[in-house]
Amino acid sequence: MVTAKKPELGSVMVIGGCGFLGHHVVRLLLRDYSCSVSVVDLRCTRNRRPDSDGVAYHEADITDAAKLESIFAQAKPDVVIHTASPPAQSNDSVSHALFKKVNVDGTAAIVKACQKAAVKALVYTSSASVMSDNKSDLINADERWPLVRGDNQSEYYSETKAAAEVLVLAANRAPDAPSLLTCAIRPSGIMGEGDTMVLYHLINILHQGRSGVQVGDNDNLFDFTYVENVAHGHLLAARALLLTAASKTIPLDNERVDGEAFLITNDSPVYFWDFARAVWAAAGSPHGTEHVRVLPRSLGMVLGYFSEWFFWAINKPPTFNRQRIVYSCMTRYYDISKAKRRLGYKPLVSLDEGVRRSVKWTLEQQEGLKKKE
Amino acid sequence: MGAAQKAIYFLFHPNQLRSIIQWKVWHEPVHRRDASKETATEKACFHYLNLTSRSFSAVIQELNPELLMPICLFYLVLRGLDTIEDDMTIDIKEKEPLLRKFHELMEQDGWTFDKNGPNEKDRDLLVHFDNIVTELKKVKKPYYDIIKDITVKMGNGMADYAVNAEHNINGVNTIAEYELYCHYVAGLVGEGLTRLFVESQLANPQLLVRMDLTESMGQFLQKTNIIRDVHEDWLDKRRFWPKEIWNKYVDNWDDLFAPANREKALQCSSDMVLNALKHGEECLFYMAGIRDQSVFNFVAIPQSMAIATLELVFRNPAIFERNVKITKGDACQLMMESTQNLRVVCDVFRRYARRIHKKNDPRDPNFLAISAQCGKIEQFIESIFPTQDPKKIAAGKADAKNEPGMNTAEAVMLVLSALSTLVLIGLLMVGIAWYMGAKLDGYWDDLDKALGGSIKTTTIAAVPVRGRDEL
Repeated sequence: MVTAKKPELGSVMVIGGCGFLGHHVVRLLLRDYSCSVSVVDLRCTRNRRPDSDGVAYHEADITDAAKLESIFAQAKPDVVIHTASPPAQSNDSVSHALFKKVNVDGTAAIVKACQKAAVKALVYTSSASVMSDNKSDLINADERWPLVRGDNQSEYYSETKAAAEVLVLAANRAPDAPSLLTCAIRPSGIMGEGDTMVLYHLINILHQGRSGVQVGDNDNLFDFTYVENVAHGHLLAARALLLTAASKTIPLDNERVDGEAFLITNDSPVYFWDFARAVWAAAGSPHGTEHVRVLPRSLGMVLGYFSEWFFWAINKPPTFNRQRIVYSCMTRYYDISKAKRRLGYKPLVSLDEGVRRSVKWTLEQQEGLKKKE
Repeated sequence: MGAAQKAIYFLFHPNQLRSIIQWKVWHEPVHRRDASKETATEKACFHYLNLTSRSFSAVIQELNPELLMPICLFYLVLRGLDTIEDDMTIDIKEKEPLLRKFHELMEQDGWTFDKNGPNEKDRDLLVHFDNIVTELKKVKKPYYDIIKDITVKMGNGMADYAVNAEHNINGVNTIAEYELYCHYVAGLVGEGLTRLFVESQLANPQLLVRMDLTESMGQFLQKTNIIRDVHEDWLDKRRFWPKEIWNKYVDNWDDLFAPANREKALQCSSDMVLNALKHGEECLFYMAGIRDQSVFNFVAIPQSMAIATLELVFRNPAIFERNVKITKGDACQLMMESTQNLRVVCDVFRRYARRIHKKNDPRDPNFLAISAQCGKIEQFIESIFPTQDPKKIAAGKADAKNEPGMNTAEAVMLVLSALSTLVLIGLLMVGIAWYMGAKLDGYWDDLDKALGGSIKTTTIAAVPVRGRDEL
């Protein structure tokens, strides 16, 4: 990046630009590209760039179509990167309503706003989970695998992400706004600075002294992706869409980026419990694997079942359930050849380095919280 | 091992014995050389092949007749070069021109060489090298040109190393130097072999375009040997592990062998294993380009042995104390599996990749990178032999194997119904016995008496059995 001239992206708007993934997208835009950056987020206090970076922050609820349109009219973006989504953590009716409102209705509003404001490129953050039914294995799956929708999709979060992805891709060269090009990025298992899910949970398990249990045989490969690589994938896609927009002809089917979804990972699937142990080791665990007891999956399922009943009886959400067991025993990794070929994607940061950075950040956060107390 | 020791070993390791017997009894070579039709010089060549090679002589002799003699001679020529290079009793001033001109010497009728030291194990080969010279003249021109070309390159490479004082005193420094060394001793051989395979139309010509795959084949084998032989080489005051790697763990090479530094040494060895394992996918890719069964066996056997050896040396402290090698039984099983097809060899690679990952230690700085590399090998195998078919999944006909097991409620029901079936059958049997006139009361009394009346309390607990009476 030092010698080459930075690629141009024009005016870029990052929706959800103060969120976990979004603020890394903003960071990479400033670091690797020549462009002006605006951010739309519900609240723009956290993960905010210093004023000297010249990022224009706009506070707005993306389901507020009128507000959105006025911001678009003001910022006049060429490229919109839509990363906004509530965290996938909970699975109750309140969060369901939120998933629907933000992921589906919000995305529909953004598509409309893009079409009205003559935006050239829209890149949507989907999720690799749209291809998973949360129980069957996904073995080296690529974009030919079908979306899992409706009754087959047990996670409502994934259902809404898939619905939004369909909306976004249908807007590509749509008859009433043919100049808007769109694509979707499907990352798998994002972790990094700002992550409050994957690493946060794993490090909690270590601190609670529960790192000595392994469910299943640990031969199941899983894809985890460092957040900077995900952000990089988004920006490569944005760049490709702009190049397509500038050319007169529609690209060949096997070279197309517009109207397409792309899986993005670290291109480095690892055995599920190996990833957990790498996180624990980076977080200072002195253990090898001598202390590990292996719980067969079937026994884990029975225990998870009892745990669900127990927590049901005391009327609390279960900390340990069968879905957790299923996830830790599931094979779920992807073939990202399509992103490599069409976007020229290659992870910028290795998984090893990504884990080190992410764990360091998480530990610093926890230290900070302790000090406040 | 004495015969008695062997017998005891096999008694406790029956699988090892089974593999050996299977290989000896069931292995059917694709081609068998016909000694009755061979000339005296041909026979002499195979004699020296058997003398000089433990691992390669058998697979070479089972090669397709088209390549049998060319590859046998290729091996002997390189072995001859090696015997000159290895011999420290030959003065460098004499050695260098011998190495650089070996390709000319091997064209001189009747050329032999008897100046090897008496302890050089393969000196006999050079003393009778005229046999090889004679046979080389009969090799088809295209094959001969390949053999000669590699001999020129190899001889010069060896000469360069022999006169390189820095290398001889300090060994290999950077990883690039390490890989260059492996290129000279193994990559070049691979290049010659690939060209012979393609020339004889027994391999896909694309392999010539992707010479990096051939290079990986050689690197994988050579690096594995270098890791395995570290102790032996250390005793011989030779060092092939690059300083760029070991210097991350210890300050001096000899420190690696101090028992106090064992953990550091293990971490260093896993760094070396990781470096070798990176060639795994390309080796499998290369083997996909072979079109002849005998050639496939010839290239696959050493590769399977290599990944098994990597698993053996991985996090194995014994490599710093003595020589380690895979057991004869494992070797036989690997040979069986390497003489079938690519799919079976892929299964071998996956099996050993998983074993390596199981031995991996989270405290090792290479932990995640090794796990990821094992994952890469598995992913590559999936890319050539996919387990899942998106079309079938889309049609809702997912392979039964990939369906999740039944849910827990079902499992609990299954166990409950199995148990209640057992209980029911038990009750029925007791009931029928009672109906037929069995005296069940007496049974408990007898049992009690037999145990010296000590189970009085237990008989009370056994009351449910009396309940059978009411059936």
